[in-house]
Amino acid sequence: MSNPKSGTVKLSAAAKREQNWGWLMVAPTIIGLVVLNVWPFIQTLYASFCEHLGFGHYRFLGIDNYVTMFKSPEFWKATWNTVYFCILTVPVGIFLALLVAILLNAKVKGKGFFRSVFFLPMVCAPAAITMVWRWIFNSDYGILNQMMGTSINWVTDSKVVMIACAVVAVWSAIGYDAVLLLSGLQNISKSYYEAAEIDGAGKITQFFHITLPMVSPTLFVVLIMRLMASMKVYDLIYMMVEDTNPALTSVQSLMYLFYRESFVASNRGYGSAIVIWTVFLIGIVTVIQFVGQKKWVNYEV
Amino acid sequence: MKNSSMGQSKKIVTTVTYAALILGSLVMIFPFLWMILTSSKTVPESMQIPPTIFPAQITFENFTRVMESLPFVSLYWNTALMILFRVVCAVAFSSMAGYAFAKLQFKGKNLLFSIVLMQMMMPSQIFIIPQYQMVAKLGAANSIFALVFPGLVSAFGTFFLRQAYLGIPNEIGEAAYLDGCNQWQSFTKVMFPLTSSSVAALTVFTAVFAYGDLMWPLVVNSDLKMMTLSSGLATLRGQFTTNFPVLMAGSLLAMLPMVILYLFFQRQFIEGVAMTGGK
Amino acid sequence: MKKIPRIAAIVLAVTLLLMSLAGCSAADGKTHLTFQIWDVAQRDGMQAICDAYTAQNPDVVIEVQVTSWNEYWTKLEAAAESNTMPDIFWMHTNQILYYSDFGMLADVTDLYDDVDPNFYSDHYSEISLSNAMGSDGRIYGVPKDKDNICLVYNKEMFDAAGVSYPDESWTWDDLTEASQKIYDTTGKYGYLAYADDQLGYWNFVYQAGGYILNEDKTQAGFTHPATQKAMKFYIGLQSNDWCPDQSYFAQTAPGVAFFSEAGSMFLEGNWNLRQEMLDYPNMVGKWDVAVLPKCPDPVSGDGRATISNGLCYSTAARGKNLELVKDVLKFFGSEEGQRIQGLSGAAVPAYDGLEETWISAFDQFDYDLNLGIVVDQFEYCVQSVNNASRPKWKSLVSDELIKIYSGQVDIDTGLANMQQMVDNASAVS
Repeated sequence: MSNPKSGTVKLSAAAKREQNWGWLMVAPTIIGLVVLNVWPFIQTLYASFCEHLGFGHYRFLGIDNYVTMFKSPEFWKATWNTVYFCILTVPVGIFLALLVAILLNAKVKGKGFFRSVFFLPMVCAPAAITMVWRWIFNSDYGILNQMMGTSINWVTDSKVVMIACAVVAVWSAIGYDAVLLLSGLQNISKSYYEAAEIDGAGKITQFFHITLPMVSPTLFVVLIMRLMASMKVYDLIYMMVEDTNPALTSVQSLMYLFYRESFVASNRGYGSAIVIWTVFLIGIVTVIQFVGQKKWVNYEV
Repeated sequence: MKNSSMGQSKKIVTTVTYAALILGSLVMIFPFLWMILTSSKTVPESMQIPPTIFPAQITFENFTRVMESLPFVSLYWNTALMILFRVVCAVAFSSMAGYAFAKLQFKGKNLLFSIVLMQMMMPSQIFIIPQYQMVAKLGAANSIFALVFPGLVSAFGTFFLRQAYLGIPNEIGEAAYLDGCNQWQSFTKVMFPLTSSSVAALTVFTAVFAYGDLMWPLVVNSDLKMMTLSSGLATLRGQFTTNFPVLMAGSLLAMLPMVILYLFFQRQFIEGVAMTGGK
Repeated sequence: MKKIPRIAAIVLAVTLLLMSLAGCSAADGKTHLTFQIWDVAQRDGMQAICDAYTAQNPDVVIEVQVTSWNEYWTKLEAAAESNTMPDIFWMHTNQILYYSDFGMLADVTDLYDDVDPNFYSDHYSEISLSNAMGSDGRIYGVPKDKDNICLVYNKEMFDAAGVSYPDESWTWDDLTEASQKIYDTTGKYGYLAYADDQLGYWNFVYQAGGYILNEDKTQAGFTHPATQKAMKFYIGLQSNDWCPDQSYFAQTAPGVAFFSEAGSMFLEGNWNLRQEMLDYPNMVGKWDVAVLPKCPDPVSGDGRATISNGLCYSTAARGKNLELVKDVLKFFGSEEGQRIQGLSGAAVPAYDGLEETWISAFDQFDYDLNLGIVVDQFEYCVQSVNNASRPKWKSLVSDELIKIYSGQVDIDTGLANMQQMVDNASAVS
């Protein structure tokens, strides 16, 4: 290596410096991710092909865990529950967040007050939020049934429990999504609207031709983030629905199933297979989004 | 003619806007209101049918009960420190990495960025046991460091700030370069300040995430004095099962400082966002 | 590239700062031990025992740490794998076989040999010792406490309905009759029969002469006629108007329902009684405890049973301070250590003859609960059900029970399924 320029790819001195800076600047993040996340993930991947004998001792099995998993109705139910939760939270949640952002971006009095109110759940611990919602949803003593004059078992009826969880999820996230979208909306220059106004474009045309394309990069971030969070949902359901709840199987997400298999029943091999499946699903959805974004996300401002 | 119809439709739009905002606000505020009302009721009253809206007799017993069970001052302090360090780490490391991924050319860039994307797909629950074992090996369980540990680097932050840097035209960096700045200087002096609204958003995201993180603090810090507000609340729930007045009192106490802080903080935050918006 | 040192310095500074926040290691020359438990209510009691030990051994500091039940086991297992277990920790019968069979726990069978080779059998009951034993019959923890399940009832509701209080003569029939009468007169729920094992159907199964696991713990007894009889009775209680369904209990714990005067009876472990006296001061004097009602026509036996469990204090087999910790454990199991535990009200000491110390911890209250029955019930108590594969079948069985309750499977099929689940899991290990 006496002559550094003898490589097949010749880099100018400036480009080389740039490369060194690049490596240096990503180093802390990459090293951290490899140690904290990638290595444990590789272990999980290995464990998914093993039987857990106890205390971190594994016996190699091959694909048995996956065979058992794909044959298990409980597993397919959990997969469906996860997809259902995403359907309930992502489109509806983002639509409402965009609506709130647009309303907040309008010229209204007391804007500051409304903003504070919508963002309030952001600063509240989810543990506290789920507690109060469980109390509101309580079918015997809860205020919701009393106000509506109904006796719906919000958190114990297998047909409505997922909706109840989705309500809490959307309610909690709407403020954060709206703040991101709002910052995107405020980045849109007023001159675009003025120009459109002169051209005689209506509000709705303006929304689809100016607002939506201009806010699309932010929308993309929000979509990715929300979808990933929803596919990995665990904490919220765990806190809303305890394992003595008769409706558990109707709301048990993939990560909840993983928790019960890996942490409670100590079936870590099988639990790992569930994780790999979850990551696989998220991967597919993400790839679709990144490919799809070229069609609708507009980075040229 | 045209003007008056315009004015009329504008009025309708304004009315609908207000109606929607007020209705939305009611939905957002009601759970908090109910939390406050429940926290000052006795347990039998909370389970009365039909329920009372306002407590028949305001009791502070639930609050004293909660304060006997949890060392709130420590919980506030631990949570604040955990959030502070996680935010500092996430912003510092993710800004550097986000800038590099967006603006610099280097070998292995795509491969390294795919690590970032992959991490975002992985559910955090699978890291709990391995990360706990790392902390335990370091002999650092039951400390602030242990609370911060999984948040030392942030894949989401890197992804998010890369988006922000992508949004800044390359010409700005090139101009700085021509002025004689090296990469580091053009990053710290020119580019980083331009991402302030994204950094603010990331700060909030990291803080909210850290604040809500439940299982990690529960597993890694078992000393009650080293817990965070979220894990303290979970402990409270383990102790009081479905005694909602006590749980609501605990939730209120846990939320209060954050809410107050937020009421001061949100002005700067939103105005900061608005300020950079026009450019 | 002269800026690199500056970045490195920043990174280093942040790392150092974080490290400095990491647990400050002891610089006082004392040996620091950690003691992990899961019950907040017993924290003070445990601290009192530790203080008594450290008073005699000033060069030792013991720190009591509490982790919630669920995370306790996640954490302990992770710690066992990386050999970073706490110095002393509570062990539960649900888990002791899993840990001891894997060689994670220190064998303390010979702990008292220098004092008295028969120390354990002289001072601890057979049940207490078997709760602390591994599959190999060795002792892997110093017995800590013993408990059983009793019937808690609301006196005011009994008075209002004109029903006499539960006593030794009570049978299952009295339980249902009283429930009906109380419901008819007061509109309050009767006996709150919820889907729990230790605090629910197990007691009834053993009263009827059935069993959950056979003698050598290799097979389940869910298809045994006596077990089926008890299960059908217990699950059937839910169909009465006076009993809320499982959906109710999923949202309102039976204890909370009872102490907010929504129901008149429930089964409670004696370890919770003291905390409930403290937590519900307005209820003191309005409720009391009684022995469990017996099965009127058991398939075998006299119809009496209550599930008794007991914890033990364990330590890691490969702990750093093993010799010192063994000395601490020795103190915990001594009469003195057990007496402090009883007097603090934490739990009934496992040490025979110290039951009264626990009762005396209730002297602070204005009303005297009939706690003598807890001691009486040890006469016919049954050891809490357990085998090495219980962690694997526990949640399967409870899921199946929920299915029976909600009508997704009929009771005979459900019980047959449970039988198979336990048998399969037990056969594997």
